[in-house]
Amino acid sequence: MKNHDLSLFSELYTCYYQVVARILEEALHHPLTRRQMENLARQYGYDESILSIIPRLTEGCWPFLHQSESFSGAYVSSLKHTLFPQTLTRLQKSWLKALMSDSRFCLFFTDSQLKELNEALLDSDPLYRTSDFYLFDQYGDHDPFSSVMYREHMQTIIQSICQRHFLSICYLSGKGRILTHTWLPCRLEYGQRDGKFRLYAMAYSKTGRKRMDVLNVARIFSIKKTGRFYPAFVETDLYLDHTLCKDPLILEITTERNALERTMLHFSCYQKKVERLEESGTYRCTIYYDKRWETELLIQVLSFGPVVKVLGPESFLSQMQKRVRNQAQVSDIH
Amino acid sequence: MSEYKELIKQFDKIRSYVRDFYVYGFKTREDFHEKSGRTYDNQRRRMESWFSDYIRTDQNGHKKSVFLTLDSSRMAVNPLYQAWKSKSFTDNDISLRFLLSDLLADGRPRSLETIANELQTQYGCLFDTQAIRRKLSFYEKQGLITRRKEGKHYQYSSISPLSQTHPGLFPALWLAVSFFQGAAPFGFIGSTILDFWNQKNDVFRFRSDYLIHTLEDEILLPILHAMEQKCRIQITVKSTKLAAAPYPAKHKEGPAFGIPKHLPGRVSSLTVTPIKILTSTQTGRRYLCAWQENAHRLSTFRLDSIQNIQLLTPDPAYDAHRKSFQDIFPYVWGVSFGDSPKKEPETVVMEICFDEKEENFILTRLQREGRGGTLKRLLPGVYEYSRLCADAAELLPWIKSFTGRIRSFQCSNPAVEKRFWNDMKKMQEYYGLPHQSI
Repeated sequence: MKNHDLSLFSELYTCYYQVVARILEEALHHPLTRRQMENLARQYGYDESILSIIPRLTEGCWPFLHQSESFSGAYVSSLKHTLFPQTLTRLQKSWLKALMSDSRFCLFFTDSQLKELNEALLDSDPLYRTSDFYLFDQYGDHDPFSSVMYREHMQTIIQSICQRHFLSICYLSGKGRILTHTWLPCRLEYGQRDGKFRLYAMAYSKTGRKRMDVLNVARIFSIKKTGRFYPAFVETDLYLDHTLCKDPLILEITTERNALERTMLHFSCYQKKVERLEESGTYRCTIYYDKRWETELLIQVLSFGPVVKVLGPESFLSQMQKRVRNQAQVSDIH
Repeated sequence: MSEYKELIKQFDKIRSYVRDFYVYGFKTREDFHEKSGRTYDNQRRRMESWFSDYIRTDQNGHKKSVFLTLDSSRMAVNPLYQAWKSKSFTDNDISLRFLLSDLLADGRPRSLETIANELQTQYGCLFDTQAIRRKLSFYEKQGLITRRKEGKHYQYSSISPLSQTHPGLFPALWLAVSFFQGAAPFGFIGSTILDFWNQKNDVFRFRSDYLIHTLEDEILLPILHAMEQKCRIQITVKSTKLAAAPYPAKHKEGPAFGIPKHLPGRVSSLTVTPIKILTSTQTGRRYLCAWQENAHRLSTFRLDSIQNIQLLTPDPAYDAHRKSFQDIFPYVWGVSFGDSPKKEPETVVMEICFDEKEENFILTRLQREGRGGTLKRLLPGVYEYSRLCADAAELLPWIKSFTGRIRSFQCSNPAVEKRFWNDMKKMQEYYGLPHQSI
């Protein structure tokens, strides 16, 4: 069977199957009340999935559960075996096989694991060839994925994130200084535009306050495990909330040169709201952004030229005005 | 009148709704003309259910717009994958999915008759033997079970999960899947693997991630197959230009700036040979680059504008077309191959000024974003960037991103040069600066 016969839109991947699998898995360990099943359906299903799934399970249309008198009418699974992990489909395996030719794939494995995986997927055809794709506007200085040192660093970081293991890291800062410090690695962020991994890592300042630093993985010189562990999961987002803008960027977008279509797609990665301004025939777009990336957003807005106009906030507007003023000056000098 | 259901039978019916709710977000019930109001109501209710954490509404007079809004850099898994997980099924489908896998989980091969009997004796469920046979055949095609002949009968058995046969690959493999579900084509498949393994992504996030790409995957898969087989395809393309804007379109652009070849929303059918998938990491678009035999040139089509695809016969000149692509592509800035394949490349030259001590990041930008252009230091703090390209108009957005530092700009295409300086004038007018003669 060829890969093109495999359907992406299949019942096998349906959300309801996953909800039922989790309910049944839980019921294998202990009888479930209706309320407990509803909670699982709420957690793993769509907003209204409870209405369809729970009655079918409790009324026996889907014959996997039976009520037990010895457990006060709670529901017991009729299945005998654990449901996870499930066997992968041909489509899933062929996707994994395709990943094997991605230059980033080796970052996660040792050479012997790569060999073992290759053997495990010997019968699978790759779903696609990496060479069929070209990222034509990715920056030219992406991380050195094939570097032995980089790969070792990535594997240590990933392991340490999972184990909450403090790391001693020697790092070249953006200002060109070499720092050695102890960080708790919390999260890796990948930027598709620049092909770079950034490590979000928690550090203690001199006053004992915790802060979240961002390190470019490619600028790490050395990493050592400290043997110390952090006891709890770190909610990285909580440390980043203060960087979200208080005043969102407000843009007026015309319909010239297909600007609406272009901007809506371009800014679709941001949290945003768009309104139609009936009188002017333009659109008002409100973008909620992270202050850390303000310059990047400014550059993006500039690239649209006059089809996009900044209305606020004042600080962003004054930066735009400054750039336009500078432009008038430098081109005038010329 | 059929009852509302959260699940759907066909993905293509929902694709444009998800896109409109996510990308635009300002449309109201009245803007969805193509289908009935009731269809819109049902689709809106599905969106509200599938994406409940990210759905917002906005009331403007008596009109209500419902939209999907989220910060992609905070997402562990693309929420739009939920749309792919909405396939409907029957009671028999789900019953056999769980009962057959439970029955066969002991690894013992069984005949169809034995399976039917054991489903009845062990689970109290009586199924039609043909229904079981069809399901087993489906699972075999999907790679979930194997079948081998023993005597006159087939014996069916389950295939063990990778974690049982290759425990040494874990947790590395699920961590890799956690990453690639957000960073590789067809990431949706990765998210189903996490579902199958009852795992979630706690380690990775993705910055500037264009989540919308997932909606094009059903179109992308047969295109990639055609590329592998070196086949032609027939595509149905619906122009996306201005389709979102209900206001009268104002085209002020000359041919060099790419007046839409199709009118807004116009549908056309073309036979092409697919060569490459061109992905933009900055604009949120993915394109099919293909050879158009009738025009005898390479063209690009946005994947989100392709509505349908049909596989045709192999193209005997496939390798020659690919060679054409390789020859021309170094001159292409983005995705435009220019008006005429025989035309000489256009030249762009600009001078950028900055403080070399304090603003060296500008030089870094020129180097890493310049896509093979030539960079020359003319004076302290003044650099010249030049590049040959098939369609110089494509460079304008990037060049304008240096506004404030562009000392000069010249292009062998006078229309492009004029457009640039006109834009600079308009920017001055917008931001309340005195008019300069530039």
